[in-house]
Amino acid sequence: MVGMSRRSVLAGSVGVAAAGALARPYIANAQAKTAVCWLNQGFIPQEDAAMRQVAEDYMKASGNKLDYSIMPFMAMNQKTISALTSGDVPDLVFMDAPSSILPQNAWDDKLVDVSDVVTPYESQLSETAKLCSTFYNKVTKKRSYYLCPIKQGATPFHIWGDLVEKAGLKMSEIPKEWDGIWTYLKQAQAPLRSKGMRKVYACGLQITTVGPNDGNNLFVHFMIANGGEGIVTSDGKLHVDDPKVREAAIKSVEFMTNLYKEGVVPPEALSWNDADDNNGYHEKLFVMDFDGTLSTELAMIKDKQAFYHDMQTVAPQLKNDGTPMKTQVNAGGGYIPKGAKGVEVAKDFMKYFMQPNVMNENLKGGLGRWAPAIPQIVKDDPFWLSTEMPCLKPYITEAVLNPTLPVFEGFTPAWGQANAEQLWGQAHADVIKSGMKPADAVDKAFKRCAEIFAKVVM
Amino acid sequence: MSVTQQTLAVGRGLAPTRLARRAWHGGLQGSDYIWAVAFAIPYALVFFAFVIYPICYGLWLGSDPALYTQLFDDPRYLTAVLNTVIYVGVGVNLKMLLAFLLSGFFLRKSWWTKSLLLVFILPWATPALPAYISIHWLMNGQWGMLNNALYLLFGIDGPIYLNDHWTGLAANIGAYIWKTMPFWTIILLAGRMAVPQELYEAASVDGATGLKRFAHVTLPLMANLYIVCTLLDTIFALGDFNSTYFVSGGGPAMSTEVLATLGIRYAFTTALPRLGVATVMTALPLLIPLVFILMRKLRMNEVQL
Repeated sequence: MVGMSRRSVLAGSVGVAAAGALARPYIANAQAKTAVCWLNQGFIPQEDAAMRQVAEDYMKASGNKLDYSIMPFMAMNQKTISALTSGDVPDLVFMDAPSSILPQNAWDDKLVDVSDVVTPYESQLSETAKLCSTFYNKVTKKRSYYLCPIKQGATPFHIWGDLVEKAGLKMSEIPKEWDGIWTYLKQAQAPLRSKGMRKVYACGLQITTVGPNDGNNLFVHFMIANGGEGIVTSDGKLHVDDPKVREAAIKSVEFMTNLYKEGVVPPEALSWNDADDNNGYHEKLFVMDFDGTLSTELAMIKDKQAFYHDMQTVAPQLKNDGTPMKTQVNAGGGYIPKGAKGVEVAKDFMKYFMQPNVMNENLKGGLGRWAPAIPQIVKDDPFWLSTEMPCLKPYITEAVLNPTLPVFEGFTPAWGQANAEQLWGQAHADVIKSGMKPADAVDKAFKRCAEIFAKVVM
Repeated sequence: MSVTQQTLAVGRGLAPTRLARRAWHGGLQGSDYIWAVAFAIPYALVFFAFVIYPICYGLWLGSDPALYTQLFDDPRYLTAVLNTVIYVGVGVNLKMLLAFLLSGFFLRKSWWTKSLLLVFILPWATPALPAYISIHWLMNGQWGMLNNALYLLFGIDGPIYLNDHWTGLAANIGAYIWKTMPFWTIILLAGRMAVPQELYEAASVDGATGLKRFAHVTLPLMANLYIVCTLLDTIFALGDFNSTYFVSGGGPAMSTEVLATLGIRYAFTTALPRLGVATVMTALPLLIPLVFILMRKLRMNEVQL
């Protein structure tokens, strides 16, 4: 304490505090052309490299600076929700699957309208990407673009072709109708078990409530296959009183729970988490899985035999009535929270990113795990429909070229809440564990769903 | 004049207001008081920034009564409350009892007991997330190690543990106990080691044997520490999210959710953070009395460790 008086300590403290307070605005001013960006970490390293590349290219082209960080999806999800709640937000959030964040925050007027960025590309974007990017704002009382779509992803079947052949079945004979695929492949279980695969199951049916999204996604695809895709319409209305929708739901629940009761689904599937089906599938503990994007295949890209020969990717083709089946597609891209300081740079970056050539190079760099939101890209660039990576062509066909539907979360935040309550997984559990009739389980789920929707008035 | 007399003489001359001010200043005067304040300011700022502000912010986030209407309307809420009561009630008490018994065992002076203690501490030293995820995989009915071992050793297929409410909840509680019991065992072991040996020797002279020594020496001296540890762990367990989220995932059919996991789901799955905070806030009526009791226990001046 030699040489330090009380006065000098207090004066020093005040000086440090003042310097801190005054220095901050100076730094902010110096970074007027900077945008703080939070970018979603990819499933494979190539996706991250492609993301860094697009950011670096933009900085070179524009002279602006992107202060970007790449973080895992779940961590970024939580960080973003916390930021939106506290108001201390980044300038841009780029996410693969933002459908759990966008509907509610657009509804609450917490996002910047990005129509001026998206509209110039509107004519080139897929209808599904556009529907996945528009959300209702309860303050402005209208729908607008709150997401700049870059990518879209679908859910294909992932099938171990070698196991199908080992069971004496043929990949070429798999029916095109939705229920037929499951029914055909369930025959593989008994022959495989007789050949020593004691614990192998036929169907990776994700009737889980733990998910969090896999069980809901599966149910919606069953609904579509049974003609019940009108359960929610783009105006955000719920149609559980429509007999066609109810019948589709009952058929779906009945079919899935019967598969489970027949013993062709791993019993554990009732409580699978997000990674359990992937782990089980990779270990060949079941013949097929129905799961989003190509991450299932790309996770095994280093195993040449599995990636290029044994794993087969199959797109759903026909509904149970024989008509073409629309599969549900989600869109990913960038959005800007309200309160962001670098809105101008963030928008400029997204304008740059939405250019077809930039979008294409970025998504190709990620090995096609996500398809472009502009369909013309896959028609112009032979990469997308080549057979070099066997999984790519069927996936792109499903996600871009076949008829698609947007995820229902974009229609209303109420659907996200119904999914969060895992109403459909609960219905399966009611039938399997409590012995409830499928019709009663569906009615119970529909009643609760209607209650949730009643509170979200558009 | 003695020092005491001098002090009394000075004291008589002080005005009551000055005495009160000195009492308020904790007996410090002049520069001593200023220095004390200067050193306390950083702590006060940190305390405000990381304790007071987050608590007030949380209270503000969960202050809308409509949130509670929405919460109580959710059928999962009641299940989560009941599970929380079971999780905390069984998890904490069973663990503390076991920790107390084990602390007696680890008091032994043999080398192998000390070696065993080193191994016993490992679960506590292991990072929580990989540990809980490993338990989730271990218990997987199809490919988990537990059922594979059952099959290899006895030729039987074990149950699907995480498909049932009670075994799922038991798995969560078991994982929580496994993870945190070593910590409390060490604390109670330290408490036991602080009991003066003379008391045991005196009890032996009076003819007290094992059980009586335990009932009349160990138990009374350890009681306060045991209660404080139990209260603290109750507070920790109420906010524990990891075990349920990573072991059973709240399944099957969301039947093993606790308040902490339900709150997180609201906040980050549905993007309704205020509802998530409100969920956790409903534990406050239980939490606040616990904190008060804990504070009172810590202020007691009775015979204790």
